[in-house]
Amino acid sequence: MKLLKLLYYIPEFLVFYLIKLLQSNFQMAYIILSPKMNTTAEFIEFPLEVKSSAGLLLLTNLVSMTPGTLSADISNDKKILLIHALLMSNDQNTVGEIESIQKRILRLTN
Amino acid sequence: MIATIPETVLYIAFAFLMLAMIITLVRLLKGPSINDQIAAMDLIASIIIGLVLVYSVLINNAMYFDITVILSLVSFIGTIAISTYLSQKNG
Amino acid sequence: MDSIIIIISVFILLGSFFILVSAIGILRFKDLYGRLHATTKATSFGILLLIIGVSLFFNDITVYTKAFLIVFFVYLTAPLAAHSITKSFFQKNKKTKT
Repeated sequence: MKLLKLLYYIPEFLVFYLIKLLQSNFQMAYIILSPKMNTTAEFIEFPLEVKSSAGLLLLTNLVSMTPGTLSADISNDKKILLIHALLMSNDQNTVGEIESIQKRILRLTN
Repeated sequence: MIATIPETVLYIAFAFLMLAMIITLVRLLKGPSINDQIAAMDLIASIIIGLVLVYSVLINNAMYFDITVILSLVSFIGTIAISTYLSQKNG
Repeated sequence: MDSIIIIISVFILLGSFFILVSAIGILRFKDLYGRLHATTKATSFGILLLIIGVSLFFNDITVYTKAFLIVFFVYLTAPLAAHSITKSFFQKNKKTKT
């Protein structure tokens, strides 16, 4: 049963990753090539729920690849992830997006 | 290999990559802090990977892929080594 | 016969274009974090597109295996390199402040 679930979750995760990748790269190219780069950069502290090291690697990797965010640092007790966001116009939006990513990873690693 | 790519496409790709290399060299020489210079070096390694890939299409030799594997690993280890050294020196 | 040439050309041109975009980004951004945004995302995507184009050109099983390996390494290591650069930057700032 668990194997069957994994068989569904892994391709779904890959498709999700690919869509995020395309979106983030075209957004990045738009920001860089626009004549004036009006970016409002800021740091966000995000509470972590993923505990396993493989899950942490996946989460930081995906956060770095999603549009406009970059994982900067993990606190020593693995509870807080420091995220650098390039566009702070939609603060709640960014946090909600990362929470949905975390939910997917929890589903995949447990 | 199924077909031959028109050489114009490859030369345009070379032009893009060389332009990227020049721009990155400006940042490497100017970079305010040493961390900017490390980031620029990382980007230069990636540009060299791209150049080797396009060149392997130009001379039609699949053996050049091995160089790319090694370059991607060595550039990562170099970046990690320098930044670990810096953080241990400062910390 | 003809369409595969067009597909490979588009992949190669787009890949080198994204690497150029990331080089422009490293020059234009004002601070280190923005520069790392540019180098992490755009460069690895450019290499991904170039590798897809070149391995379609050679169309050989060993080349596909090596291409998968390179994409795996690049995507595993690019965020880690950015992470370690920011970490050393943090510690330098901490020392100069105190």
